[in-house]
This record gives sequence, structure tokens and C-alpha cells, in this order.
Amino acid sequence: MEGEDKEMSKVFVRSAGLIPVGEYWEKSIGELMYEAASKAIESAGDVKIDRIIVGNMFSGYGTHQEHLGALLASVLGMAGTEALKVEAACASGGMAVHEGYLSVKSGEYKNVLVVGVEKMKDIDTGHLTKALAMAESAEFTQAVGATFISLNALLMGAYMQRYNVPEDQLDYFPVIAHKNGATSPHAQFRRAVSLDDVKRSPPVAPPIRLLSSAPSGDGAAAVILSSEKGDVEMLASETATNELMLFQRDNPLEFKATKAAFAKAIKRAEITKDKIDFIEIHDAFPVVSALSLEAMGFSEEGKAGRDAESGKYNLDGELPIATFGGLKARGHPVGATGVYQVVEAFYQLTEKGGKNQVQGAKVGATQNVGGVDTTSVVHILRRVS
Amino acid sequence: MLPISYWRNRKIYTRLLGSRCKKCGAEFFPPVKVCKKCGSREMEELEMPKTGVLVSFTKLTEPSYEFEEYVPLYLGFIRLDNGVQLVAPLADVVEEELKPGARVEATVRKWAEDGEEGIIFYGYKFRVVKQP
Ligand SMILES: [Zn+2]
Repeated sequence: MEGEDKEMSKVFVRSAGLIPVGEYWEKSIGELMYEAASKAIESAGDVKIDRIIVGNMFSGYGTHQEHLGALLASVLGMAGTEALKVEAACASGGMAVHEGYLSVKSGEYKNVLVVGVEKMKDIDTGHLTKALAMAESAEFTQAVGATFISLNALLMGAYMQRYNVPEDQLDYFPVIAHKNGATSPHAQFRRAVSLDDVKRSPPVAPPIRLLSSAPSGDGAAAVILSSEKGDVEMLASETATNELMLFQRDNPLEFKATKAAFAKAIKRAEITKDKIDFIEIHDAFPVVSALSLEAMGFSEEGKAGRDAESGKYNLDGELPIATFGGLKARGHPVGATGVYQVVEAFYQLTEKGGKNQVQGAKVGATQNVGGVDTTSVVHILRRVS
Repeated sequence: MLPISYWRNRKIYTRLLGSRCKKCGAEFFPPVKVCKKCGSREMEELEMPKTGVLVSFTKLTEPSYEFEEYVPLYLGFIRLDNGVQLVAPLADVVEEELKPGARVEATVRKWAEDGEEGIIFYGYKFRVVKQP
């Protein structure tokens, strides 16, 4: 708008809130959002929210409720405030944070409330499986009976052959996640599992097993992004897409969306990747963890499993991942996950990590994908000293 | 699947109808509007080869509600002889024969039924080629 150009603003995470991922039979999707949002609002001090953005994947299909932006504004007693919902499959939460970041960055908004929410337990498994498959093609993925887990299983099979990697090695990722989840107050599964436990768990879509697959759960998480200087600055928020259908890509083993989003984020943040002290990756399945870490250059191609085995990605390792349990143990309420990741990065950078604190963490990153790396959102955050 | 969606795609599902770029010759399945190689919008219909190799496979026991009566569902990541890749259901499965690199061929089989009264959805499934 001519003559009305606002100065580009820095973006800070002013406050955060979440509820433990779980089964909330007694609560509606509006109540879940209300609880997470209230925690963020209460800890933000005196704040006037001028925009509300909700990240969610399938509230219409799963709970018969759309129009989540207006719903949340009403529930919070903030009707009048502009509000909207953002959808990008399992990256909906990350995308909502991205939109919130752009809102503040543009100078048009001062305080933006971003909430990620998903209610997965209100529908039966057969319909939940259908809802998740909607991240890929209705006509050529869902039509032939392929589910989201089965796509990842086919990808994992291709990965194991291409790099001659045994299933065992990739199964270190759920072991890492559960180890961190055991001491994470908001994790859905607060218990450690051994490699043997993973190997002995029932196959759901071989080579993917019950314990190598992120669980389903209800959850909501919230952040308030602000132009007012706070303890944590969001240095970058970048996103990119890959072909919608995994198998219409020349090389399904190349996570091009994550690669592009991460490269843009590093550039925007004006850092090198070795400055990142921890990263909340999208560890929905071991093969997704591996291909994500390889796309971002933290592991060489085909070597992420070996690096996981070596302890590189442990909480006290060179680059901690899934510091509060990740998708696997904290839980993966799909459209909320990307916001959980940012809340967790905020906890780490404000030394609220408790037993899960990454010592001396100054810079943290998050990576949230929708589909099988179809949409990828990467955030880089920094502790303001 | 919505019956209307099946009807729209019936030729694609039963003939493996894809597309070829008139400019650069790149081939695609399912059909595309814009060439992913050169960006051209001049595409023509092309039937895919009916043979290829099995890259990987899985056995699905928790499908979406539409396929619950057909478990276990075997699915393959298939690379056709023209290099085009797709995910497809597998038919006539003998588990011991499912191996990465196995030769497979397309057949047309029942995918699912739209309930008791609805239409039957038919489409491509792949099976391992029997050694002569
Ligand atoms: Zn072309």
C-alpha cells in the first residue's frame, strides 16, 4: 500500500503454552485451543492480540468443526479480532507459526497468537487413517488403498536397499525419542523403550512397527509472536514444497522441501548450521528422521541411522533432537505438532527444559513436514543475551 | 472413494493412462497438466508400459475404513519399464515371491466396493511375473 509502508520488524516469541498430548474425551477442540492459548496469554503480561492464526489439518473431517479462527476468538472472548485457520497437512502448525512470523515481520501486526490444534481421538481408526491419507492424492494414493504409514513403509524399504542399512539402525530414532520423553512433563508416552522393544513390537506396515511409528493423540500448543523485544528471537521462518505425491518425484529419497526450507532459513538467520545447538525434527517415522537430517546436511546420505546409533543425536550429544520426546514420544497431534516444536525450542532457549534441558543452548531449530516432505517448515530461534 | 471421482478417472485406472510431453518427451503417471521436466503445457495421452520392477513393498493391516474388509492389503512401490514410478496394490500375492527387484505386470482387479448397493471400483493391480 503506497505511502503506508511499515518498517520490517524483528520477531520475538513473547510467551508459550501447551497441554500434554493425550486423550481428551471430555474436551472439545475449542476447549483444547482455549487451554493452550490461555497459558500463552497469561504468561505474556499485558498484551493486546491483534491477530489469531490457528494451524490444523482435519478438524472438519475429524470433529465436524471448521472456522477455527473465529471459534477461538469467540472462546477467548476476543470476537472482533481478525482470525483464520491455516492448513498444510502435518505441517499446519509450522505453517501457522510461519504466517504469524510474516504478520509481525511485515510491521502490520504487533502481537499475533498462533495456536496449533488437532483432535484425533474423536474418530475411529479407519476414519483417522483416511484423514491422514488426505495429505496425499485422493485420486491416486487414497484410491488404491495406500495410507500414510504405508507410503512411509515403502520409502523405508527403498532407503534400506539404497544405502544397505538394516532396520535396526533406523530404529535408534524411536529409542532416542522415548528416552527424552521419559522425563518430559508434556509427553504422551513418558517411558523409555529399548531397541529390542522396538524390534519386538508388532509390524503395522513392515518395515514400520508399532514402536517406530508416531502415535495419534489430541493436543494443542500456542505461542504469542511479538514485535516487542523478548527473550527469544525468531531469526528465520522458511518453507518450501516438494511434489505432492512421493512416487511422482524423480528420487523419493531426496527431501527437497526440507533441503530448500533449511537452506533459506540458514541464509535468513545469517548463521552456519554448526551454530545450531538442538533441532526438533519431524520424527514421525525413522526414515523421515533419517532423510530429514540428511537433507539438512547433519548426516551424510545413508548415515543418519549410524549417527543415531553413535549417540550424536542424544540429549547430551553433538546435536540433540526430539528433546522433549519428539513426535514419537511427546506425541503427534498432526496440525499442532509444528507449534509444539516451537514451544519446546522456546523452553530450551529460556532454560525451562528441566530434566530435558540442553545445556548452554543458544540457537535452536525446528523442522515440521506435511505429507512425506511435501511441505516443509523450518524455524531458527535464538536466545537474546 | 467418491463414485464420481472413480467415474472421472476410470480410463486412467483401467488402462494406466498417463501423459507424455510433446516438447521433451518426458512421461508421467498419473497424467500431468504441466511437464515437470521442461515446463511445457503441451501434453498428450500415453498408456504406460504394463511391466516393471518392484522396488519395495508392504503389508497393510490397518487401512482406511474403505478397505477394512480387504486386509491384509499388499502395496508396492513400482518402477515401470519407462522409469515412471507409482504406488499400486499387489494381486495374487505369494509372500515369498515379493522381493525387491522382482518383475511385475499390471492387471485389472477389484479395488473396493462402494458399500452394499454402490458401484464396484476396478483398477490396476500388479502381480509378480511367474518364471516360465
Ligand atoms: Zn517436457
